[in-house]
Amino acid sequence: MPPNSSRDWRQKLAPYRGLLALALVFGLGCLFSPTHLKTGQRLFLTVENQRTVFFEIAETGILAAGMTLVILTGGIDLAVGSVLGLSATAFALAIYGYGASPLTAVLVALLVGAGCGLLNGLVIARLRLQPFVATLAMMVAARGAAKWLSLGVKVAPGAQDWYVWQQSAEVPFMRWLTTALGGWGPQPMTLLFLLTIAALAVLLGRTRFGRTLYAIGGNEEATRLSGISAARAKVWAYLLCGLCAGLAGICDAAQLTLGDPEAGATYELDAIAAVVIGGTSLAGGRGGVLLTLLGALIMTYIAKILSLNGAPEHVRLLLKGVIIIVAVVIQTDRRHD
Amino acid sequence: MRSRWFLLLPLLLAACSKPTTDQAAAPPPGLPTAADAAQEPPPAGAAQDAKSTAQGLEPGRKYVIGMSQCNRGEPWRVQMDKDLDTAAKEHAAQLEVVFNDAQNDVTKQQAQVREFISRGIDLLVISPKEAKPLAQPVAEAMAKGIPVIVLDRDIDGGNYTCFIGADNVKIGRAAGEHLKKILAGKGKIVELQGLQTSVPGQDRHNGFMEGIKGSQIEVVFDADCKWLEPNARKEMQSALTRFPEIDAVYGHNDPSAHGAYLAAQAAKREKAIKFIGIDGLPHEGVKYVQDGLLDATFLYPTGGAEAIATALKILAGETVEKRITLGTKVFTKENVAQGGEVL
Repeated sequence: MPPNSSRDWRQKLAPYRGLLALALVFGLGCLFSPTHLKTGQRLFLTVENQRTVFFEIAETGILAAGMTLVILTGGIDLAVGSVLGLSATAFALAIYGYGASPLTAVLVALLVGAGCGLLNGLVIARLRLQPFVATLAMMVAARGAAKWLSLGVKVAPGAQDWYVWQQSAEVPFMRWLTTALGGWGPQPMTLLFLLTIAALAVLLGRTRFGRTLYAIGGNEEATRLSGISAARAKVWAYLLCGLCAGLAGICDAAQLTLGDPEAGATYELDAIAAVVIGGTSLAGGRGGVLLTLLGALIMTYIAKILSLNGAPEHVRLLLKGVIIIVAVVIQTDRRHD
Repeated sequence: MRSRWFLLLPLLLAACSKPTTDQAAAPPPGLPTAADAAQEPPPAGAAQDAKSTAQGLEPGRKYVIGMSQCNRGEPWRVQMDKDLDTAAKEHAAQLEVVFNDAQNDVTKQQAQVREFISRGIDLLVISPKEAKPLAQPVAEAMAKGIPVIVLDRDIDGGNYTCFIGADNVKIGRAAGEHLKKILAGKGKIVELQGLQTSVPGQDRHNGFMEGIKGSQIEVVFDADCKWLEPNARKEMQSALTRFPEIDAVYGHNDPSAHGAYLAAQAAKREKAIKFIGIDGLPHEGVKYVQDGLLDATFLYPTGGAEAIATALKILAGETVEKRITLGTKVFTKENVAQGGEVL
């Protein structure tokens, strides 16, 4: 038994554990940063590197933000990676294949994502299938749909004879999304990610819908008995999660300037990892989307430190595994309720 | 009752990791192809040989070739089937090719080969999923007097008529030598590797190192990108942050080189860097070269056209070499309009 004073100390620090972990990782980054060959500046701390980190976080970060809603209800969405691939394919196909305007293509991609999410939600809430099973099915089916749409070939100008775009040319919208604003600011894609986090944070913290999601995760039966429509809230959670996957798909296609039907494979695991490292409980009911931001930042910073140092692949994988465990152990409140 | 579905996560992880191990054994996914076969007939020599030997066939008889493809899910293998089909169509009066896809399943491919044998095909072409398990069915075909051409991946024991495949070491070496030439023997480069645990990835690395040997070219940064473009883009971003001077990028496949180009473009440094890749798929690497994104790509040929040329010789009763190693082609800005240069 730890002495009382130590427990008090730990309880006081409890809400800030995520921030502490992030600070620790940031410190490690500074410590192990390679330096500029001429100026001796620590490369990890440069504005350029920080901008890159936030840019690299955006795609899986958006996925993880949507995933947080679903995990809060005690569910899971394994389909987000595949839905990302499907939406990226649809987005690129609308532009290159049918010559649609970027705005139309964005709407198509978001609709595809939201549609998949809605289907997930209906199957889970109405047919009462386990989320694991229902979204596993969607994971396979969405990948199939992406391959069907693209005929198994990456969607790029000239990939099929009938595409409107036969010659490669830059899509200004894709370029804009991935280029630093004014040459020094953040990329619009990064802002999109931060905006998603902010919107979902407000949704979870300030609305009835948000409180319902926590309540479902805490005790679904009680929520239902208290007259709140758990089923409807759940459908919305999966729908929003799918919508986020659609948005991430647009980011993916914009980064690669093409729609890859294989895009997003295993990204669902990165998204789940970010949520869990942030401290949201897989059992539901506890956590939040700001924690997911922390989790995603911790993961991306670690990946960046290893990548900057050119760490070999086996080191990266081993460390990633260790860090997930350590982070979750730090985050979990192991006192029995 | 609270659901405990997350106890199933390890299961999911196992399910997810399976394709990766498959890829490790496979040639790079989404890889290579014979860029030329889609647009033009096989290398002039081979095509002419094929035509002349076609006359050695029994007149009026239609020969049936069975083609057992291990996985049509990979674009490069789709291209292989296409190359075979295009070449066979030139002899449509005498040749018919029956295609079969084992969908990345060894037992399915074993059964497929036996089906072909019982159907009484005249010749078997197989691109096997694995070397050991397919040795037995192939041996059964040989015992029945059906000649077998093995494509791309070898089969244990060597009990077949002919093996046709490309040499990744050679292609990697050609890439290294090309880089040595365009950098005048000196420079700092980034190597974006394919899956490091896969044989094609290792061969492309080792060959490249041989190619740049003796020069002052230094690989300042390398990373395992697992053949995937998003990974290549991220690693290149790190390389750009770390090294103010990068002269060239060697991608083990064209998507990696393309991802690196996009990262450099975002940092406004793409003009100072040369990008080279491998595969030369018509709508991928070759197109990137045409558009001026990549400086060069090296063809990883499928051997589909060569398989038909060789099959015609075998069916006409000629003896063929036991091992045929395919050459490569380089596509650069200067020669891409002429269909690349044979190396």
